Amino acid sequence: MKIALVCSHGGHLTEMLRLIEAFEGQDVFFVTYISPRTEHLSYRNYLIKNIGTNPFRMMVCLFKTISIFGNEKPDCVLSTGSEIAIPAMLLAKVIGIRTIFIESWCRISTKSFTGRILYYIADEFLVQWPQMLKVYGKKARFEGAVI
Amino acid sequence: MIFVTVGMHYQGFERLIKMMDEIALELDEKVVMQIGHTKYEPINADWFRFIKKDEVIKDLINKSRLIIAHGGAGTILTILLERKPMIIVPRLKKFEEHFDDQQIELAEVLVNFNGVSVIYDVDYLKEEITRLGKNTNIHFEIRADLIHYLRRTVGE
Repeated sequence: MKIALVCSHGGHLTEMLRLIEAFEGQDVFFVTYISPRTEHLSYRNYLIKNIGTNPFRMMVCLFKTISIFGNEKPDCVLSTGSEIAIPAMLLAKVIGIRTIFIESWCRISTKSFTGRILYYIADEFLVQWPQMLKVYGKKARFEGAVI
Repeated sequence: MIFVTVGMHYQGFERLIKMMDEIALELDEKVVMQIGHTKYEPINADWFRFIKKDEVIKDLINKSRLIIAHGGAGTILTILLERKPMIIVPRLKKFEEHFDDQQIELAEVLVNFNGVSVIYDVDYLKEEITRLGKNTNIHFEIRADLIHYLRRTVGE
């Protein structure tokens, strides 16, 4: 199975790298932000300019993701956040690719901006603290945490 | 050695870095700081902004007896996995260290574990560094069930 691992370059990437042993034997590639850290990422990757809160950059990111997914044709898109996952999962939904969103380990009692949106889009929506099941609702599932 | 780290967040953490620079002068111990986007540049401690390889941060954590960290999930996760005692200083919105106060959430849960302290007012930081002696062990059970779950579900 080919899996697109989509996440921003800080803590979300640290969480993803912690989970990566789960995908041993699968074909994985990263879509993440440009930074000194990701330049040296030891996995196949595509680097995108940080979106932050800029809607124009969100559009640019969407077009880049279309081109990346067109080229790679992943079977599954998995994300640990943050907003870089929004265009990727919207696109995946439209073209029928399976999506798994994992809310960050740092979310214990409040929703993230990205989680708030992707709750309605992701095929599987996982939280890392049981308390978060109530915060999100029926679709959310707790299957353990990164630690 | 004490290692101070503020992660990759786009805002600086002036309050912590300035205070640690003052404290470093009074300590009988080497202090190394990763200052990220903080404008203030320390005088009394070794410092750098970012590192290119994650292994370098892990190595610094391992060499230290105590880590002073911002409240970011990635930073705290890395320290817990290395089983090192830490003082968490959450970034606060009112000092323009973060866009919200989300770092408090994780800190409030982790403060219940032995070997983890949380400081909100940096005026108390030196006292806490002294209080956390040289033999503090961290007690945190590592389960990582999510890794096993993902291996099963993605392998299907």
